[in-house]
Amino acid sequence: MKQTLIEGRNICKTFTGNGSHTTILQSINVDIYEDDFTIIMGASGAGKSTLLYALSGMDQITGGKVTYRGTEMTGLSENQMAGLRATVFGFVFQQTQLVSNLTLFENVAMAGYVGKIGTPKEIRKKAQNLLRQMGVESARDRLPSHVSGGEAQRAAIARAMINRPGLIFADEPTGALNRSHTEEVLDLLSNLNENGQSILMVTHDLRAAIRGNRLLYLEDGKLLDELSLPSYDAAFAKDREAKVSGWLSSLEW
Amino acid sequence: MELQALLKANLNRHKGGLAGIFILIFIVSLSLATVLTVWARSGSYLTSELRRVGFGDLTVWVSGADDWDGLAEEIAGVDAVERVAYQRLLYTNYSIHGQESDSEGQLIFYVPQENRYRFFTDDLFGYRAQPDKVAPGEVYVSPSLASMFGAQIGDDITFPIARAGKALTLTIAGWYEDPIMGSSMIGMKGFLIGEAGWNKALTLLENAGIDALAREGAMLHIFADPPGQSIGELSAQINEQTSLPGYTEFVHSQTAIAGFMLVLQNAFSGFLLAFASVLLLAAMVVLGHHMQSGIEQDFVNMGILKTVGLTSQKLRTVQLTTYLTVILPGMLLGLIAAIPATGLVNAMTLTTTGILIPSSLPFGLCLSAFAIVYLLLISFLLYKLRKISRATPMRAIRGETEGRPVSIKRLPSIHGKGLSASLALRQLLTSKRRYAGACLVAVLLVFFASLVGRMDAWLGADGKGMMDAFNPADHDLGVQSFGELTREEFEQTIQSYSGIRDTYALAMPSVTVNGVDFTANVIDQPERFHLIESRTSAADSEIVVTEFVAADFGVGVGDSLIVGAGLGSDVYTISGIYSCANDMGQNIGMSRDAYLKIASDSPNLWCWHYFLSDPSQKPAIIETLETVYGGDIHIHENTWPGFFCLVSAMRMLMIFLYGMGVLFFLVVTAITGSKIFSAGAKILAWFLVFYKHKVVKKKGVWLGFFPG
Repeated sequence: MKQTLIEGRNICKTFTGNGSHTTILQSINVDIYEDDFTIIMGASGAGKSTLLYALSGMDQITGGKVTYRGTEMTGLSENQMAGLRATVFGFVFQQTQLVSNLTLFENVAMAGYVGKIGTPKEIRKKAQNLLRQMGVESARDRLPSHVSGGEAQRAAIARAMINRPGLIFADEPTGALNRSHTEEVLDLLSNLNENGQSILMVTHDLRAAIRGNRLLYLEDGKLLDELSLPSYDAAFAKDREAKVSGWLSSLEW
Repeated sequence: MELQALLKANLNRHKGGLAGIFILIFIVSLSLATVLTVWARSGSYLTSELRRVGFGDLTVWVSGADDWDGLAEEIAGVDAVERVAYQRLLYTNYSIHGQESDSEGQLIFYVPQENRYRFFTDDLFGYRAQPDKVAPGEVYVSPSLASMFGAQIGDDITFPIARAGKALTLTIAGWYEDPIMGSSMIGMKGFLIGEAGWNKALTLLENAGIDALAREGAMLHIFADPPGQSIGELSAQINEQTSLPGYTEFVHSQTAIAGFMLVLQNAFSGFLLAFASVLLLAAMVVLGHHMQSGIEQDFVNMGILKTVGLTSQKLRTVQLTTYLTVILPGMLLGLIAAIPATGLVNAMTLTTTGILIPSSLPFGLCLSAFAIVYLLLISFLLYKLRKISRATPMRAIRGETEGRPVSIKRLPSIHGKGLSASLALRQLLTSKRRYAGACLVAVLLVFFASLVGRMDAWLGADGKGMMDAFNPADHDLGVQSFGELTREEFEQTIQSYSGIRDTYALAMPSVTVNGVDFTANVIDQPERFHLIESRTSAADSEIVVTEFVAADFGVGVGDSLIVGAGLGSDVYTISGIYSCANDMGQNIGMSRDAYLKIASDSPNLWCWHYFLSDPSQKPAIIETLETVYGGDIHIHENTWPGFFCLVSAMRMLMIFLYGMGVLFFLVVTAITGSKIFSAGAKILAWFLVFYKHKVVKKKGVWLGFFPG
């Protein structure tokens, strides 16, 4: 029996602006489990990213509730949420969202300092190791604006990893990358999941989607269907792609 | 650790703007600390020095008494008087470099045992030990004589004691600090002489008989009991109960003397305070504009940092620390720089003020002022940073911290024809607040420039503005006939050089106010008085008084005083407070009709004041009038010997203000311009996709990103 990390109940999200209301999420019920590589798929505007940010507490929801390991996040104070983000969650975005005036190394180490995972020396060592592991050690002292999108995204994953989070939220992490960089990043995420890292990823890319073992399909702000798969194995990637493709076709994607 | 890293990164990111803020804060704190030091130290130092030299609550200059001890004892017997001390002196005119004084000097017998006076070094940069005695043939003078007469150590001063050339000639041996009459604003001057000089002068005087030009006298320092009582009442009591009125030359309260001694410092402080206030206001707006833009630029980064678990509190701390890293050193450096700056101001003005104001900073006052500025800045920063507390990380990253988004429906559309103009309009309408901030900065800069310009214009080429502030009414030239000479005659001479634009008559007779001797400015057009408060004395039952008189008598507008003259006395209501420096502010103003109720008229009473069509002809007119009419006429200009020193000191302040203003302009323009450019950089980058660089630059000018 898998442990439930996040439990979302009746999640609603409405955007208000210029006198009009747009409902993005409509009473969604969803559970995210430990050790899973969960994928949220759907067409553009389906509410994928909104659901991800709602589940991670990165954005406020209009209705419903979200709990993390039984603790209701919607009731947490700003400081408690900050503590959760510092120690339990990791985030990877489509636009890498590294702090523009910190080097790659500083971006990674910063998350470690905030999470207080050890002494400053230990954090620096860990950040260095993570950057090496992600293959961006040579760019460690460069600003985000001076590295390629792939390097920046790998640094962002290193930043998300440094505090050994319970769950990594990834919002289209390969959306802005070219093919080779995309594969690098997806391989990294698959490796992390293989080593027990829980991941919740939003994507509309089939190649990315097949990395997950649990796929959720969202349409017009509602959870339409879900597909369970065995853990990713590169040797069976083609079969997996065909299966997911078939599932998506059945949903008229 | 994370705060340290973020602070370092922030400082690096905003180093240009922060350097500008540092300079702004430095200029503001330097100006503020300097003005506070000059203002606070000059007042407290002069008051303490007046006490130290033994100036009474009221000091009466007297002459003609045979028994000074007896007179002092008589006055001390009045209930309201605690004690009386006196200093012996000789009233005499003097001349330096052939230039005669327009007011009497006072030869004061120097008694070293009294430790009454402080002596300056020859270069006027500090103090020296007091001399054991004043050597025969020598005299110590106030440094203001250097500015009034160009006097130097070694120069001779001639004091005519009696007719037929019986004079005392003494050589300037050094400078002393005279807190009573050292300022060039005050016509009377003290000269410290030794026993030999004193005895020689007395001998000349005793042998002169009716040919005497000098008079023996004393300064009576009267101390009130209880202290702090109304000087007017004290003076009236003494005049009623003693024989003092028979010997009085003039009377001045400590407040009046201090007011005149500090005219330059007060003018300096006033100008500098106005400058510093506008500077502070403009700096606050610029800082606000910069901080707002800077914080908005950092919102995305702050949002990202929130995603890794940084709290709003820590983000605020980082932003606050970033700005405080330059604000605090800027303030501190300004504070430190104010010490030599104040020293420089005080040294530069010593020959005008006659006293060396201490340059030590009034730390309590400065720190209080700086604390207010600091709190204002912090409050402003916290106000701007409040958005980051409210925004979720994603809202911050998406830039949704600007408040209500602009409705695109209400914006004019972009046209291919006149693209630059329509883009500029769109940019303006979608970034209203940013441009409004820049506009406010521009308005303040213009206001700031106009303020300095107005100060300069007010001062005028010959310091006319300042002079007018000291006279009861404006004029170019004043002429008074003493003999048979008629007004029509000297007006013909004047008109042979220049037309007369306007004229009025002013007399300065002696009157008594509540039994105390005063000078009255009697004018045929009372609307010409320089009013400070309320209205002029238009009715024949009204008078105007100076602030000094109002303070001495403890009266204000609407109160009454009894004014007396040759035909009797009457009760007059104070209709307003006016400014006039005659007799160190110990005067009242009234209309001709009001005066003639208590005194008789005479043609020679009136001094005719003229406004010339061509004021440049003034020197030629004066020379001709003096040559043609000699002693039958008294001519005066809108000036006095020490006035131009005052004006030149003010001019130097103006140059300093202009310099600071230019620096301020450059910094503000650089800060504001760079922030607007940063805000629009992304839009310009998009234009680069479509246009050549030159075209983008042109459009950038349109959009206000580049200076045209």
